[in-house]
Amino acid sequence: MKTWALIVDTWREALARYTLLGFLAVSSLFLLVLTFALNLDIVDGALAAGTLFGKAFEVPGKGPAIATVVATGQSVFAGILYVLGVFLAVFATGSQVPNLQHRGTVDLYVTRPIGRTHLLLGRFLGAVTLVSANLLILCGGVFVIISAKTHVWNPRFLVASALILLVFLSYLGFMYLVGVLTSSTPLSIMLPYALYLLSVPLVAHDRIAAAMDTRIGAGAVQTLYWILPKTAEIGRDLTGYVLGKATPAFLPLATTAAFGAVCLGAAVVAFNRKNF
Amino acid sequence: MPALPATPIASGDSPAQGGRGSRYPRAAPAGENNAGAANVYAGVDTDAAAIAVRGVSKEFRHGRRRLRALDGVNLAVGRGEVFGLLGANGAGKTTLVKVLLGLARPTSGEVRVRGRDPRRAAARRRIGYLPEGHRFPGYLTGKASLRLFGRLAGVAEGTLDQRIPELLELVGLAGRGGDRVGRYSKGMTQRLGLACALVDEPDILFLDEPTDGVDPVGRRQIRDILLATRRHGTTIFINSHLLSEVERTCDHVAILHQGRVVREGTVEDLTLPTMRYRVRLGEGQAATAERLTGEGLNVVASNGSLEVEVADLAALNRLVDRLRADHLLIAEVSPLRAALEDVFIEVVEGEERAAAVSDPGPRTPDPGGGR
Repeated sequence: MKTWALIVDTWREALARYTLLGFLAVSSLFLLVLTFALNLDIVDGALAAGTLFGKAFEVPGKGPAIATVVATGQSVFAGILYVLGVFLAVFATGSQVPNLQHRGTVDLYVTRPIGRTHLLLGRFLGAVTLVSANLLILCGGVFVIISAKTHVWNPRFLVASALILLVFLSYLGFMYLVGVLTSSTPLSIMLPYALYLLSVPLVAHDRIAAAMDTRIGAGAVQTLYWILPKTAEIGRDLTGYVLGKATPAFLPLATTAAFGAVCLGAAVVAFNRKNF
Repeated sequence: MPALPATPIASGDSPAQGGRGSRYPRAAPAGENNAGAANVYAGVDTDAAAIAVRGVSKEFRHGRRRLRALDGVNLAVGRGEVFGLLGANGAGKTTLVKVLLGLARPTSGEVRVRGRDPRRAAARRRIGYLPEGHRFPGYLTGKASLRLFGRLAGVAEGTLDQRIPELLELVGLAGRGGDRVGRYSKGMTQRLGLACALVDEPDILFLDEPTDGVDPVGRRQIRDILLATRRHGTTIFINSHLLSEVERTCDHVAILHQGRVVREGTVEDLTLPTMRYRVRLGEGQAATAERLTGEGLNVVASNGSLEVEVADLAALNRLVDRLRADHLLIAEVSPLRAALEDVFIEVVEGEERAAAVSDPGPRTPDPGGGR
């Protein structure tokens, strides 16, 4: 019941701060546009014509196979969501730990007969359910609408959504660590963004390391690459997977998950040791 | 942390012994570690005590500086007692309460609440806490706050359904339970905090400045609630600098000064009768203070009563003889006790003077207090 209370508390907070409603409004708008503004004419399994916001567009010659169109569209959408979704999710949940650690508030929580580990992980679980529900609505909605319109069911898109959630969880773990250590909402949001941006060029870690003047510099680049989330690789694999052209590599996923787990573990340790 | 031995946690002079020429019980000299300071709980089994504190010190690091907020504190609070912790701002009161609740880890020493380490979650069952300057999440209503913290305390849903309206009624928020806490006044928030502290029917209640921001009527209601709670056997630990409130509510008090317990005892012991007396005259009787003052007595007259300070009982009796010789009717002669405020000020000022003489070094404020 204590875990349930913490999950409900997280949802209440998101509701009160309009983050939940904001996300639902944006998602609903996007899904409505997809439902009513985009119409596709499919002839013999290929895209022949269509309308977007009532404006017709022709496809010259024999159009591409509709399965390819759907996979491409979903791939683009997954790519956008991979960047934008993670950014929005970080923004929506960034104040969680700092708010919990407010002087006068944390006393009320921590003096209850609940372990600090349980308390922090309960809030984490609340954030996970919140973001999962949002992703499910948006990605699930897109999947159902496109599939219903085209009769092309591409389950890879749903798997890609799960990968987006995994990457977000990794950043959420980092965000919890920053939140516990600094009690600062701006830092809890900005540092994951910075990490996200820093991790992207590290996909070229071998070339960057080779360009370094010193062995220490090269070693630092390689170390950072192995420690930090593999944002670019996972993004590339994810879009490729939706297109059916690639299978996500295990190592980037595993190291990204490990990064989040280690950060969350460190956050739990720091939270347990903290004087309030 | 090893179990505390079942021996008295502190020994030393009885507070009633007095000392240093004070009319109040003895204070531990400033600068002396008060591990052996006066303790009225001599003989208390620390595992049986509701709260036992032994040699607790707490230091905070602020950059390179080390601030000592608590310095070898010893305390024991018996079950069912109402205990008041007094101290000026920055004396270490809030830090001590936080250590007692597991919010902060002591640098050294041992703390037991009902014989258990309060840092363990299970040890905090049925412990209520009203923090100073508490801040409920503003997005919650009063009812939702009680439900959330009741759930976190492990109270069953059915019990909460019944208890929440009762608690809101008890603290005078029956009609406002559905409002968001962010819209509450300070007094209402304080009442909600008290309800929240009572939500799991605590055995021990910690209250940090419970009447802060509450109007006089509300203060009285809170005092009545505490006294009713006490009748159910709840141990109450009050941290306050409202001395009159403490004097009315508490059985035992301790005065904390610069992180050390410098005085401890029952309210009755600390507010020992002085050599001041109130002489109430019969209705319509009047005696002029000037005449009696002229005879070498320190007298203040008001509303048919005289307040007089005498050197000894013989002097008091001479005064009575003098009044009777003037054919004045005496309705009552009663000794006046020192107010807790007088005791507190004398103790604190005495400590400050002693500290200035023995150790002119910098004073260590309590980072946890004085919000």
